[in-house]
Amino acid sequence: MADVVVVPQVQPVQPALRFLRIIPGVLLLGAIGYAGKLLEQNVGTYAKAHHWVFPNIEYVLWAILLGLLISNTIGVPELFRSGVATYEFWLKTGIVLLGSRFLLGDILKLGGVSLLLVAIEIVGAIAFMTLLGRLFKLKPKLTTLLAVGSAVCGVSAIIATKGAIDADDEDSSFSIAAILALGALALFTFPLIGHFFHLGDRAYGIWAGLAVDNTAEATAAGALYSDAAGKLAVLVKSTRNAMIGFVVLAYAFYWASQGQAKTVGNKAAFLWQKFPKFVLGFLLISVLATYQFFSKDQVGSLANLSRWAFLLTFAGVGLRTNFRDMRKQGLRPFAVGAIGEIVIAVFTLGLVVGAEKLFGF
Amino acid sequence: MSGQESAVQEKKPWRLSLDTWAVVVALLAALLVRAGVFKHIPW
Repeated sequence: MADVVVVPQVQPVQPALRFLRIIPGVLLLGAIGYAGKLLEQNVGTYAKAHHWVFPNIEYVLWAILLGLLISNTIGVPELFRSGVATYEFWLKTGIVLLGSRFLLGDILKLGGVSLLLVAIEIVGAIAFMTLLGRLFKLKPKLTTLLAVGSAVCGVSAIIATKGAIDADDEDSSFSIAAILALGALALFTFPLIGHFFHLGDRAYGIWAGLAVDNTAEATAAGALYSDAAGKLAVLVKSTRNAMIGFVVLAYAFYWASQGQAKTVGNKAAFLWQKFPKFVLGFLLISVLATYQFFSKDQVGSLANLSRWAFLLTFAGVGLRTNFRDMRKQGLRPFAVGAIGEIVIAVFTLGLVVGAEKLFGF
Repeated sequence: MSGQESAVQEKKPWRLSLDTWAVVVALLAALLVRAGVFKHIPW
């Protein structure tokens, strides 16, 4: 009788079933986002009619606050979780569509300045976070994850680096929790600081894109200030995202040289694998818009479509932020992240103010 | 590793990343707007 090798069969979830599973959560994102939009329109009008002094709160903040309220009180029921997790998909779709509002010339001009600022920010942030991790005696790989998370791109960079340097699950969940908690704080503090220093839309947008870690929070922090600031925050944050591959590759080499990670074979394939493809989509749409592939009305429609996608994202940012879960992760990584973020925020604010004087953007 | 095991391993379904899906969906939406299928998207 021939040998029979029994291989456990993993039943793949059917695509149709996967699609059905996300529907309740996507509907929840839509309902919360739309409620935020209605609140923006009606609360201000109601307050004005009753002669109340009430600040004009944008739909972005309403959507995040409603999401936070649900997540931190009743919690997000299991039925909705798969759909709520799609907020990152909507974020990236929204960013690609936002490309229609950028002409290639603007991207090259601002992209050049932001590339320089991003390079300085990444080097400075990694050096400072590494030093801070050593001072606080954090595990070296945990320090690496926190450094990459705060220097480059929040959660995506941490996940990409974790695989490349063979870091522990515990270290990556610590880092992700710290970065998410600090992103949530940045959402509320950055606009206040921007207004306090009377920053212009451009300076503020570039600062938010440089200093806020996670793409969703950077987009929201920019949009909370103004539409123009939101656009720039996305552009600068995308420039930072484009650097993920290089930073992760450098860390992979370092840890492999220490004998604590696998060596990287094909560097070009590694870089392509880590490169955020939505940045290419964003550039493609902006090239099409520059060469008038779309009419003015169509650009307006694409911009609105991008806003709808962001609406779902902002609801998701609130829904996935649970302060209780974050507290469970411990204080030290959070303290390192918080000190690092404050220093990076001050450092990048100085950079932006200096660059504004130098380049006059 | 036996041939049968590796044959099973090779059957891993090919999947697009989340980023790529986002690009595909956004480009498709842009083309539909360009083709006039969606005439006006309000905000």
